[in-house]
Amino acid sequence: MMASTEEEKTGLQEEAITINGSPLAVRKMQTFEHIGSLAAVAQSYGPRSVKSRILKSIYIVLIKAKINVLLPFGPLAVILHYLTGKHGWVFFFSLIGITPMAERLGYATEQLACYTGPTVGGLLNATFGNATEMIISIYALKNGMIRVVQQSLLGSILSNMLLVLGCAFFAGGLTHPHKDQVFNKASAVVNSGLLLMAVMGLLFPAVLHFTHSEVQYGKSEVTLSRFSSCIMLLAYASYLFFQLKSHRSLYNPIDSEVDEGQDAKEEDNEEEEEPEITQWEAIIWLAVLTIWISILSGYLVDAIQGASESVNMPIAFISVILLPIVGNAAEHASAIMFAMKDKLDITLGVAIGSSTQISMFVIPFCVVIGWMMGKQMDLNFQLFETATLFITVLVVAFMLQEGTANYFKGLMLILCYLIVAASFFVHVDPTADDN
Amino acid sequence: MANSAIELEPNAATKHAIPISTVALPPASDFHCAFQKIAHSLKIVIFSAKINVLLPFGPASIILHYLTNHHGVVFLCSLLGIIPLAERLGYATEQMAAYTGPTVGGLLNATFGNATEMIIAIYALKNGMIRVVQQSLLGSILSNMLLVLGCSFFAGGIVHYDKKEQLFNKGTAVVNSGLLLMAVMGLSFPAVLHFTHSEVRYGKSEVALSRFSSCIMLVAYGSYLFFQLSGRESSHYSRIDIQEGSESDSQRQNQSQNRAEPEDEEEEPEIGLWESIAWLALLTLWVSILSEYLVNAIQGASESFNLPVAFISVILLPIVGNAAEHASAVMFAMKDKLDITLGVAIGSSTQISMFVIPFCVVVGWMMKKNMDLNFQLFETATLFITVLVVAFMVQDGTANYLKGLMLVLCYLIVAASFFVHVDPSSSDD
Repeated sequence: MMASTEEEKTGLQEEAITINGSPLAVRKMQTFEHIGSLAAVAQSYGPRSVKSRILKSIYIVLIKAKINVLLPFGPLAVILHYLTGKHGWVFFFSLIGITPMAERLGYATEQLACYTGPTVGGLLNATFGNATEMIISIYALKNGMIRVVQQSLLGSILSNMLLVLGCAFFAGGLTHPHKDQVFNKASAVVNSGLLLMAVMGLLFPAVLHFTHSEVQYGKSEVTLSRFSSCIMLLAYASYLFFQLKSHRSLYNPIDSEVDEGQDAKEEDNEEEEEPEITQWEAIIWLAVLTIWISILSGYLVDAIQGASESVNMPIAFISVILLPIVGNAAEHASAIMFAMKDKLDITLGVAIGSSTQISMFVIPFCVVIGWMMGKQMDLNFQLFETATLFITVLVVAFMLQEGTANYFKGLMLILCYLIVAASFFVHVDPTADDN
Repeated sequence: MANSAIELEPNAATKHAIPISTVALPPASDFHCAFQKIAHSLKIVIFSAKINVLLPFGPASIILHYLTNHHGVVFLCSLLGIIPLAERLGYATEQMAAYTGPTVGGLLNATFGNATEMIIAIYALKNGMIRVVQQSLLGSILSNMLLVLGCSFFAGGIVHYDKKEQLFNKGTAVVNSGLLLMAVMGLSFPAVLHFTHSEVRYGKSEVALSRFSSCIMLVAYGSYLFFQLSGRESSHYSRIDIQEGSESDSQRQNQSQNRAEPEDEEEEPEIGLWESIAWLALLTLWVSILSEYLVNAIQGASESFNLPVAFISVILLPIVGNAAEHASAVMFAMKDKLDITLGVAIGSSTQISMFVIPFCVVVGWMMKKNMDLNFQLFETATLFITVLVVAFMVQDGTANYLKGLMLVLCYLIVAASFFVHVDPSSSDD
């Protein structure tokens, strides 16, 4: 499991806000004293200290986290792309290289959120939470690989709901073997209801197409998709407003006044956030990392076709299973860690919130971008994917209603994900003209 | 019937209320003693339950099979003959569980709980009648969730009419139905894959996927058993409020739950450990023999009665396999012990979907038959819709006769649909 920076901090504190679920929304609190002194040092703006500040910044962001051991794979992928023609290698290396950068992007977003306060911070998290998936999708869209976009976003939702949730429940259940873990039923139910509605909104173009009941075959569903996407974006904006402003109390986690003795690092009293880098540094890192990820995504997307041929895997499998694992890796790790610390509300916020964000924001956003680029991106996921998505969301929503979790439920979710992954392994698109 | 104190219903708790002391055991001698023991055992197992009046139908069907060519009559007779055997099998399992303690007893119930369906399915598989296997197992799940549950709710509601509605443990029901939903979801993917025509190798991919999924489901079932039997505290699984150190896990089928009755807390098995093992083996053998004749007669019965094979597989076969559970579920509902009823119905369905069906796929794999999880579209949709609807319906923790009536009527509609249903490929087995 990739160690994220949370492991290095001795104190963790979840804020009451679990804003649409990305881990970046979780306010982490550091209690290293020397971080505080570094922050103090970083306040000085003298020219002599600029260089040392840059070095310190690089150290904090790039070197300190253990996940950054994967960083060299990025440049390696670029080198391999120009030196050899082995798409398989390029693909896998860029995959591995993006993972730490996605995590660092999350870190930078969270650092910036420390300065901007909860509201804008929430917005930041909401936007950048799935930045990696968005960037990869936009590149794929530019290449005209519409099916890859659809499948990778769908796979992201499936991976969040089944794999991340399953691993988290399983790990949490094994760590707390003698009782069920509880989470805030109300917010889980609200979130899964929203997710269900979002999925329903996504389904109608596909249903329309597959019941062969459109007015203009092929055109109607694109138009319908674009209209639905605008509506979904409107819904997403109101969802943000709902979470951040008017109904914040709904998202409070379960009070931990009942003693959870395992959690020795319980810090409910320390509310200060001590960011490690300054605001401008955070902004700069945000920009740098985004550019870096974009570059790597370009190579990644270009190598998909070749990798599929050389490794003999269907493109569907690569898009649905492999790509989302990369994009979600950091969230995955933090969700598991929070489950083991018996903070299941955060885990649920991460998993379900991320899925909601993808279905209500990223997917419609990609449709709109495709509209602007003149590509025919629509919401017509093929029948198998649509059915899979709908069944999954329904089953998971039902299962979360109870408000408890144990390792067996986690195991069942993981096994269901394995079955889904296996289905995609033997799956080709019916039209058989892949992008 | 030797003893009029014995109740009518099969697997009724009070059946075991006969204290051993009233049965005079012979003093220890050798051959005479063995003979007496066998006779005594025979008396308890064979002669003391009223359902065994149906026993002669078994041999009758065998005789008819050789004497006449009336497949229809053979089919009906073997159907009727299996019913008491299935019930006795449950009884023997429960008796043996009394000796082995709760854990192994739970395992026993988990394995033998649906032994009849398993045996029938394996025979059908051997004959290459893959659709019959799929449909009979699917029909078993449908029958458990709609017919058994519906009859129980209805009967319980009528008997307790003054109470307006009966209550059951909401948490357990939700957890169990959630598990069933996940199991059914796992079973659905090969069918969905096939029907969206999106497989890599048409016809082969779904078999491969089915086999993979079945292995995964068997792993899930193994962990399900481990999870339930590992004695969790604060679990919903101790549905039965009487926990007297005997079984407290919900994997037990209805037979063992009888013993947790408030008025009958000790387990007084009526036959010895070795006797129950011997009876278990004997009854299994007997059921196998009859199943063979049953399965062989399906095609002929379908033609002579003019019923679709689908109807026979989905509706008639499961009624046989489930008859004993059906009766006891209804009885428990009438006694206002709805938790046990729900445990029987939903637990049996979960067991079939997580164990029996994947097990049949694996057995088919070993027999080199192309058994897969691709139930046809209609069956898959029916199964999923049914499980979803019933899962929602048990959420509120109450039951009344109207709910039961609705479930029974839904089952009638499903049965009617299968009456006019032919397989699209129409290459029936």
